[in-house]
Amino acid sequence: MYKPVIVRRGSGGWGGPLTLVPTEEKHKIVSITGGGIHPLAVKIADMCGGEAVDGFSHAIPESEILAVVIDCGGTARCGVYPRKNILTINVLPVGKSGALARFMTPELYVSDVKETNLDYADESSVQAALLRTEDVDAVHKREDLKRKIDAARAGQKRNIITRIGISIGQIVNKFYAAGRETIDVVIKNILPFMAFVSMILGIINASGIGTVIANTISPVAGTLPGMLVISFICAIPFISPILGPGAVIAQVVGTLVGAQIALGNIPVQYALPALFAIDAQVGADFVPVGLSLGEADPDTIELGVPAVLYSRVITGPLSVLIAYAASIGLY
Amino acid sequence: METIAAIANGFMALFKAGGDTFTAFVTGIIPLIIVLMTAVNSLIKIIGEERFYHVAKKATKYTLTRYTVVPVLAIIFMGSPMCFTFGQFVEEKYKPAFYDAAVSFVHPVTGLFPHANGSELFVYMGIAAGVQALGYELGELAVRYFLVGIIIIFLRGLITEKIYLYLKARDGRRKTQEADHV
Repeated sequence: MYKPVIVRRGSGGWGGPLTLVPTEEKHKIVSITGGGIHPLAVKIADMCGGEAVDGFSHAIPESEILAVVIDCGGTARCGVYPRKNILTINVLPVGKSGALARFMTPELYVSDVKETNLDYADESSVQAALLRTEDVDAVHKREDLKRKIDAARAGQKRNIITRIGISIGQIVNKFYAAGRETIDVVIKNILPFMAFVSMILGIINASGIGTVIANTISPVAGTLPGMLVISFICAIPFISPILGPGAVIAQVVGTLVGAQIALGNIPVQYALPALFAIDAQVGADFVPVGLSLGEADPDTIELGVPAVLYSRVITGPLSVLIAYAASIGLY
Repeated sequence: METIAAIANGFMALFKAGGDTFTAFVTGIIPLIIVLMTAVNSLIKIIGEERFYHVAKKATKYTLTRYTVVPVLAIIFMGSPMCFTFGQFVEEKYKPAFYDAAVSFVHPVTGLFPHANGSELFVYMGIAAGVQALGYELGELAVRYFLVGIIIIFLRGLITEKIYLYLKARDGRRKTQEADHV
């Protein structure tokens, strides 16, 4: 028996509430969180009478997905599913952010959700949810009409001066849009990360933890065998998806290694191989999502995930060796 | 009283060091990135994604370009994560390898084209800041990171392709065996 469930945002969350209305065709709660099915996905599936599925080991056709549960720190995944018009539930307190932030709306996305934020939906919110789905169709129709009008306009002939004017206007607009996009990224993504890194670095440097790190990281990251070991550990198939999200760990480690290079504890010519040593896990958390963005079949995703993860065990250390050879003559 | 004051000073010192780091980041990194990103973003808008689609679509056919030219262009033009949508032009059996090649380039690209992955700049920039602090120019590191990145995504594409085809063949055999038993 299917029951509609309402999902509200948590105390630090954004968006929502989402009303999940399960049906015979559409009742799967897909957990794309790394490390098995997230308990929240199980709880939601249990309440609504649907089925919780691990999105990493099983690929689910989009038409069967009722909602996805993610643990995105705010870079990519949080926008990927709203962009596809799939209801998205983030267990982390992340607002509208990342490269696809413009697709994240309160109608499609809710964050910082805990088990206490779930509730059975009453009749009125179910009606509202059903209405909204129709609204989306109406919007598509309206956009379609607008496109037709634009196309008809483009077909009309204009004199040369108008055309020059229009094309200059278009180019200036493109520059302006590019500037706006850049400032957006700086404010939404780059500055917050700088704030976070500055705080960590400040505490590390001023508190003396820095010396401890220098004594532990430097001997490892400052030799070729040490870097090979780091890249191998990052590439172990059950560790790499955990290290991946948002490249946060790679970025923090990169900053720490950089600080040790600045102090002279790690030789500067190791900068290039170190860049690869700390990054063997890149995107390992994102394989199913990346593949479905590329419209891969569910079968391909199922075998593609282990293929990429196994490959990293070989190519992780290999990339360090290549980078080591390529850094000869650098600095 | 003096002890409390000393503790308070020590506490503030933790964050003052952080504040100095932040000022250095904002004044040293942000202005260049803003101008560079705006320039590249405008260029991409003027060239247009359609034209790039046309070129890259053809290049997915050949192994050499599928794991080098296509992912590099896709990331520069569309950034992460939209670059992965390019997998749709790649033959089904090469999609995992294409993804692996593409995702492995989202950091090497940032040395020269920070616009492509604005939220993950610090993998490169964290280490680059250390190199810069010693007084070295970053140009060569960025170029080498980019070029070595291309070599590595090519190898990664090849190796992942082989592993995927092996897993697929093994899976196929397993399925036929199961079918025989039934």
